[in-house]
Amino acid sequence: MLTIQRVWRLQEKLIKLVGSECMDCGYVCYPPKAACPRCGSREVKKIQLPRVGKVLSYTVLKVPVEGFESKSPLIIALVELGKARIITQLTDVGANEIYVGMPVEATIRKSPQMIEGATHYIIKFKPVIKK
Amino acid sequence: MRKAYIVGVGMTKVGKFYDKSIRELAAEAVFKALDEAGNEKPDAIVVGNMLSSLAEQENLASLIADYTGLRGISGFKVEGACGSGGAAFLAGYSLIASGVFKKVLVVGVEKLSERPTPATSRGLAWAADADYELVHGVSFAGLNALVMRYYMSKHGVSREEMAAWPVLMHENALQNPYAQLKKKISIEDVLKSPVIADPVRLYDASPLSDGAAAVVLASEEVARKLSDTPIHVAGLGNALDSTDLTSRYELDRLLASKLSAEKAFQMAGVSSKDIDVAEIHDAYGVTAAISLEELGFAPRGKGAKLVYEGRFRAGDRPAVNPSGGLKARGHPVGATGIYQIVEVVLQLRGDFPGINVGGEIGLTQNLGGVGANVTTTILRR
Repeated sequence: MLTIQRVWRLQEKLIKLVGSECMDCGYVCYPPKAACPRCGSREVKKIQLPRVGKVLSYTVLKVPVEGFESKSPLIIALVELGKARIITQLTDVGANEIYVGMPVEATIRKSPQMIEGATHYIIKFKPVIKK
Repeated sequence: MRKAYIVGVGMTKVGKFYDKSIRELAAEAVFKALDEAGNEKPDAIVVGNMLSSLAEQENLASLIADYTGLRGISGFKVEGACGSGGAAFLAGYSLIASGVFKKVLVVGVEKLSERPTPATSRGLAWAADADYELVHGVSFAGLNALVMRYYMSKHGVSREEMAAWPVLMHENALQNPYAQLKKKISIEDVLKSPVIADPVRLYDASPLSDGAAAVVLASEEVARKLSDTPIHVAGLGNALDSTDLTSRYELDRLLASKLSAEKAFQMAGVSSKDIDVAEIHDAYGVTAAISLEELGFAPRGKGAKLVYEGRFRAGDRPAVNPSGGLKARGHPVGATGIYQIVEVVLQLRGDFPGINVGGEIGLTQNLGGVGANVTTTILRR
């Protein structure tokens, strides 16, 4: 169950896009790890991931999981952010407008999921609009 | 290390059984397996299960042992998501191989029909990373959809080629009296079935299932006494990958499947070319395609294409999923790994009641999560 304290614990990673980088072998990953998955070193530091990336794969969920029924269909993308990736909701875009390679940027939005009657905010990605 | 043999197997039909509880499903499989092995009391029970919490019941080893007249023996539950069955088998095997016990009952049981589908889907998503993936609302089908689109695009695999797997599985399950989905389908049916998580459609996915399967493992000395047709556990390997999909090294591979197979092949002293029959973990068509590649049955990127070209049916080597697989036999998640072992044992004994391909050496491959906890076994007549 999603609880208020869980979202509070995760806010840095979910809003600020914090990953981890290995000081020994340079391996970057998201979610952050306590030790490097590649070389095992515990010398890992928190790093800020880029807020702009591109869509590597995507899906449109027609069958929601419990808690997300209010937002269906939900568009989910696997986004490449520099040397890391994130799985995230896409927003401000139609399901038939998405393509692999599409440039997207991070934005903070309300989650469709309520916690104990309260809304919470979460990072989502939206298409990069050329100015 | 002592040798271990399978001396008794049992399973229930796979389906949605609103009239049967976890303990009742487990007892049906346990009694069949024990009866095959002389109905002697085992020293221990190991239970494979992922989501009994959905039915508000934990402490399954005590529950099942007590309900089946085995109060007083040793035991515990093992959890490794959809790979719980394979992991429980590894634990049971280790109890024999180490010499701690001489007879161990391993039972996989799952009951997914207890709650409405969104609640069950949420439970299944706990197999992935709840803090970083479920928090965005992605279902387990959604994660596999991300892999499927990536795999198809990277290897130039068409939608029709991906549809050949469910068609073959439904065909195989028609003859399996234990299978959940007994309906012949065409490639067109797959392509017209409702979208669950684009590009995954209903017929690309395994169903939600209830079921239980059990095996009795015994030391060499006890096995000779209890069975005329003991099946040797010749090789066994388990490997872990990340729970999350995002930090995988390669998105179109299942590294833990490769590592677990390497361990199992090395232990058994065989290679993928020696396998006559295999039951692999096809939770989704793309899972089957990549698994065929990681097990060495298909070159990288060619798994789905070879299925489309007609490989892996009965008569081919290896024959893959003559049971109908997770796709059509059904996928009672924590029990699936034990179903696979029961089916391959019956194949090697010549007793499988569906498509019987026989053979001397069989393989099972059971995945937990998107290949995060994988057990491969090699069984030998």
